[in-house]
Amino acid sequence: MSDRMLTMAEAVREAMSIAFDERPEVFLLGEDVGIYGGAFGVSGDMYHRYGADRVLDTPIAELGIVGAAVGAALSGMRPIVEIQFSDFTAQAMDQIANQAAKIHFMLGGALHVPMVLRTPQGSGTGAAAQHSQNLEPWFASVPGLKVVVPSNPADAKGLLLAAIDDPNPVIFLEHKLLYKIPGRDPVPEGSARIPLGVSKVVREGKDLTIVATGIMVNKSYEVAEKLAAEGISITLIDPRTISPLDMGPVFESVEKTGRLMVVQEGPAQAGFINEVIAQLAGSSSFGSLIAPIKRLAGMNIPIPYAPQLEKAAVPQIEDIEAAAREIVKNWR
Amino acid sequence: MSFKYPVVMPKMSMTMETGELINFHVAVGDQVKSGDVLFEVMTDKIDMEVEAPADGVIESLVANPGDVVEIGKPVLIMLTETEVMAFDFGDDNEPVASVEVVAPAPVVETPVVVAPPAPIIVNTNVKAVPKARVEAANRGIDLRTVHPTGPDRTITMQDVNGAQLDPAIIKRQEANKALIAKGIEMTRGIAQASFTRSVSANFDHAQFIAAWAKVLRGRPDLAAHEHIGVALIIESKYGSALPVFRDPDQSSIADLAALVASTTDAAKNGKVPVAMLSGATTTVFDLTTYSMSSATPLLFPNQVTSVTIGYESATTKIVSLTIDLNFCDFYDGALLLDALVASL
Repeated sequence: MSDRMLTMAEAVREAMSIAFDERPEVFLLGEDVGIYGGAFGVSGDMYHRYGADRVLDTPIAELGIVGAAVGAALSGMRPIVEIQFSDFTAQAMDQIANQAAKIHFMLGGALHVPMVLRTPQGSGTGAAAQHSQNLEPWFASVPGLKVVVPSNPADAKGLLLAAIDDPNPVIFLEHKLLYKIPGRDPVPEGSARIPLGVSKVVREGKDLTIVATGIMVNKSYEVAEKLAAEGISITLIDPRTISPLDMGPVFESVEKTGRLMVVQEGPAQAGFINEVIAQLAGSSSFGSLIAPIKRLAGMNIPIPYAPQLEKAAVPQIEDIEAAAREIVKNWR
Repeated sequence: MSFKYPVVMPKMSMTMETGELINFHVAVGDQVKSGDVLFEVMTDKIDMEVEAPADGVIESLVANPGDVVEIGKPVLIMLTETEVMAFDFGDDNEPVASVEVVAPAPVVETPVVVAPPAPIIVNTNVKAVPKARVEAANRGIDLRTVHPTGPDRTITMQDVNGAQLDPAIIKRQEANKALIAKGIEMTRGIAQASFTRSVSANFDHAQFIAAWAKVLRGRPDLAAHEHIGVALIIESKYGSALPVFRDPDQSSIADLAALVASTTDAAKNGKVPVAMLSGATTTVFDLTTYSMSSATPLLFPNQVTSVTIGYESATTKIVSLTIDLNFCDFYDGALLLDALVASL
């Protein structure tokens, strides 16, 4: 067993490097991914290790970057695109939603677009409304795209390797605040993949099921550990891949706990996590509920610049803790 | 005095929940004798004729041919003088005893229910968590009577778990129980007794069936029918078949042996003649094939006795007899088993 504790940036770089070594058709392109090492330092020294032919610095033109990647993917390459902030994918949305996601189907399955688009998302860095969004539902509502939201370095490594293998376009959404912190679990050596579309039961308990995405998995985990000392035992489920979504473990767990809380950072309205609620409400597990479903999500506002307001706009550990305690205490 | 007796959809297999009414062999006003075929039903496994449990008159036909009827729900109503077989529906003040059946019957007020499904109470105007509704429906709790302690006056699981049954529902359930005790249904709470004895004699199915029929022949007081029909449970890849051997003690043992052998083969191929699928008055189940000694005693509808043959050793078998104490005294079981073992 490896006991290496890596940050998510290091784990993502390691996964990319392994893919580079395994397949000559894998390459990375994006703004400042080369000499500068990436806006958040994720590509790091890869330019120096693999050269300018495989780590391509591009102009500031997201539509062109993704368009070039789609074309390369159609021609037999396996491009990894880095978009500096997920907010900028808006510039490239035609290539993402109308080209990458559709070409396979428009051409009767004759061609694939094996492209991975990696991009950092989320608030907490004081970067204000245009650099802090969680745009999961934009991508999760486009059939033809797979969408991965890793919550820790070990998952990020295995999931990114699987995403690069995948013949379909995969959107890989990395939370900025996770880049610099080591995960709870060591990152294994080697090139083991974690299959897309498999939810992870992070911890098991009997009183409450929490389904959380991205950084909210980490916050919920802290809450679960703290409340365990008070006798409140929590199952925490990380879907990891939000499209396709694996609901099986959620149904199973809710049938045991009878209580469901969902947590995401993005705005509540039309957020991804609502899909979890909708599927549960329409399933036979609905009859197991002994409490109303609790949703914790971001406020329906642009992320504020003022640090206190920025914090208040998205669920924090204290919010999750209070909500978990309340649902278990009030509904017996 | 005559009694109203609902003839219900019988439970013919462990998995059966409903049966389809194929046709009636009788019309309203017909005089029928015990054992007359009243109607035919179809299940996913077999078709079966349902017989009159007693002499009487057909009072009304409740279901229509083609209807899918839940087990325990009435298909027709008979008037009978035979008290032991009858339900007393004469008291119109007792709501449970109403025989006004409308199709489809509303869930809450199903009038003639022999097997009592928990009354499903739909509480649309109270707030309750989903599981509390499920639990209340299962336990027959009227949520309107439960005090809500949850937020926004919502009924929680704790509230339902601590709830007292509504007295009206308790009364209805007890009334149902009383009806069941008087009925002849596999699904009722039967007062029954089982007796077991080791037998070192060697016998085949034909010899056993003949011996058992002969013993029953000696007890006409226990017979609800003029004939004796011994059903033999035969397992096949199509499920259990229960061919019935009518009056097996009255044919030669060689003829019976040939019939048992050919019927067993036919049953294993799923081809029991339809005529052999009705008229059972007792059931024999041979467990020795499975090297088992005994099984949970089971009485089929309209049968007062059943026998299992169990495995004890290569030379010894265990014969177990189950009797319905509504129709036999306790010591009858001992006498019957003693007589059976003696004739083996």
